[in-house]
Amino acid sequence: MSKKEVIDPVTRVEGHGKITIELDDDGDVEDTQFHVTEFRGFEEFVEGRPVWEMPEITARICGICPVSHQLAAAKAVDEIADVEIPEGAYKLRELLHMGQVLQSHALSFFYLSSPDLVLGYDADPEKRNIEGVLEENPQLAERGIDLRSFGQDVIATLGDKKVHPDFAIGGGVTNTLDREDGQQLLEQSEDLDTYVRETIDLLQEIFAEMDDDTLDYATYETGYMGLVDEDGGLEHYDGDIRLVDEDGDLLEEIDDGDYADIIGERSEDWSYLKFPYYKGRDFEDGQYRVGPLGRLNAVDQLRTPQAQEEFERYMDAADGPVHERSTYYHWARLIEILYCIERIRELLDDDDVYDGVPNVPTKPEKNNGVGVIEAPRGTLIHEYDVDDTGKVTNANFIVATTHNNGAMNKGVRTAAEKFVDGPEIPEGTLNKMESVIRCYDPCLSCSTHAIGDMPLEVTVEQDGEVLDEVSR
Amino acid sequence: MTERPRVAFFDFTGCEGDQLQVVNLEERLFDLVEVVEVVSFREAMSEHSDDYEIAFIEGSVVTAHDEERLAGIRENADVVVALGSCAAFGGINAIRNDQDFETVTERVYGDDADMIEANPEARPIESVVEVDATIPGCPIDREEFVQVVTGLIRGVEPTLPNHPVCVECKLEENECAFHRDEICLGPVTRGGCGADCVGEGTHCWGCRGMVDTPSEDAYTAVLEEHGLDAEEIVEQYQLYWGWQRPERATQEEAQ
Repeated sequence: MSKKEVIDPVTRVEGHGKITIELDDDGDVEDTQFHVTEFRGFEEFVEGRPVWEMPEITARICGICPVSHQLAAAKAVDEIADVEIPEGAYKLRELLHMGQVLQSHALSFFYLSSPDLVLGYDADPEKRNIEGVLEENPQLAERGIDLRSFGQDVIATLGDKKVHPDFAIGGGVTNTLDREDGQQLLEQSEDLDTYVRETIDLLQEIFAEMDDDTLDYATYETGYMGLVDEDGGLEHYDGDIRLVDEDGDLLEEIDDGDYADIIGERSEDWSYLKFPYYKGRDFEDGQYRVGPLGRLNAVDQLRTPQAQEEFERYMDAADGPVHERSTYYHWARLIEILYCIERIRELLDDDDVYDGVPNVPTKPEKNNGVGVIEAPRGTLIHEYDVDDTGKVTNANFIVATTHNNGAMNKGVRTAAEKFVDGPEIPEGTLNKMESVIRCYDPCLSCSTHAIGDMPLEVTVEQDGEVLDEVSR
Repeated sequence: MTERPRVAFFDFTGCEGDQLQVVNLEERLFDLVEVVEVVSFREAMSEHSDDYEIAFIEGSVVTAHDEERLAGIRENADVVVALGSCAAFGGINAIRNDQDFETVTERVYGDDADMIEANPEARPIESVVEVDATIPGCPIDREEFVQVVTGLIRGVEPTLPNHPVCVECKLEENECAFHRDEICLGPVTRGGCGADCVGEGTHCWGCRGMVDTPSEDAYTAVLEEHGLDAEEIVEQYQLYWGWQRPERATQEEAQ
């Protein structure tokens, strides 16, 4: 009998991840918990404010993907105003979003994960950062910086700021793009597709050298979720929600406004982060994954040519109809980076982003609106109820990291069973635990470990007694 | 200050967007680490180590533990810099200062609400410790960050612009947001941002905080002229200034 520990909010620090491993009487892993520590109450403090402010306010939820929140909120406002946004505005929003997904993925892969992949999980922690990669493989680090800058520059060109840009509003966007700026971005995008494809090749070499334990320490069955376009293709900005099962078979494909019909949420007393699950199944079997791996498992195709080629190569490498390895999030993420570059070019070649109408006027027409997009880390849902004057009376957000909560916990459990044997935490385990979580690129850990490591505390407990504790 | 000062970053309650703005310096980040030594980007070393000279602090203070932690950082650092609006003056987190805290936690966490041990108010760091320099903004302006760091290394006390955003709109030749029938906080908001938001076609949301001596009464009159009632005016003021305004009111009363 081991004791479940309830986390004490006072000891917790914003953004810290904490893992508790419980051992049974024989010293084997009985249970693991990955705790999350955010409390900001955004859903509450937007209450009473005009819904038109939501794109601006909710962007402040996250400094890493403010654009995602801004877009989800803007889509919900469109619904409340009951307007179809102009074609140009639609494409400009997608363009902004592609810049966002690109920069976020580049941050995740090149800045945060490549140190583990290139230098090894057991490398000197002082070196295991982007500076270390810059020494070991300068080309890779510089390309990572170029890719991320490009995504950031797309955002900055449209929104004038890289973090919390001012661009998407209810009814459309603030401005169209200048041709000169578009041309400059097109020029800047030259060679970037090649960089990504060469990085995908490099990743294959890295995977080939990895031992099976490392490659497969977080491999397991779940469902997968993502938005799809009308042809079942990858879609980040606007589409239906598709959920497939562990064999890649279709479970649901629904209008995004109906999300509550299929997604349930459960709270656990040891984490502030809720646990969503598929309502058509019980909690355990209803776990699903979102984000790059989830999306590529859910879709049939990618609509840009180079990304489609890479997608085919990726799916050919799977043992079955889906990829179950959490480590392949990295591969899927690179394919999405390629997709973003190609989509950005297509959109920049479209006259509508220069000559289209930026927005239509809005006023409150309906009392409810839902906005769903594929944020870099997965499906992001904003829902607002408003009164007749457009003031928010109720808000509900399901952010991408939340969907993966169950899967991250499962990953931590799988890794603990593999690496922890007895009361002491072996060397290197901390980083392996962390890298399971890092595959999912969760928001709680994002920006600060760009230089350094993710703050993490691992505790091994037996009968409620702490046997070992490692933290940094 | 030593020749290559040791610098640490800490975050409290916020979105981490200001630290991301530092990462957004990209290639220049490598120039930066030539002149300062980054010893912690929150986690590389123990919080209670006294091995840094400049502490950059992002986010607002919401728990008793935050207060203790902040006091520890103050003790160890020669210079404490508030990074971003949440740290500088409470920022957007302070919207909830005006709401009933129990309702807030209960609505989000239901029966588990009592596990939340946060304070009912989100506060800027200067409410707990002495602050030597401030870089406001949501997010911070990267150039302003570089200027402050450069100043600190050279031993120059950083100063903030103390003119309203309107001045910058004039320089940028922006069309006034009021002329577009939008409500704009530019007349009483601290400039230094280049009036980007107005330039982009929206309006100033007040993210850099109020100027030191805002003409609030005159500005309130302008808002009334534009048909806003008292509640709507307060709503405008509360977006970023939920902490700043009641504080100012108390100070004025004391005088």
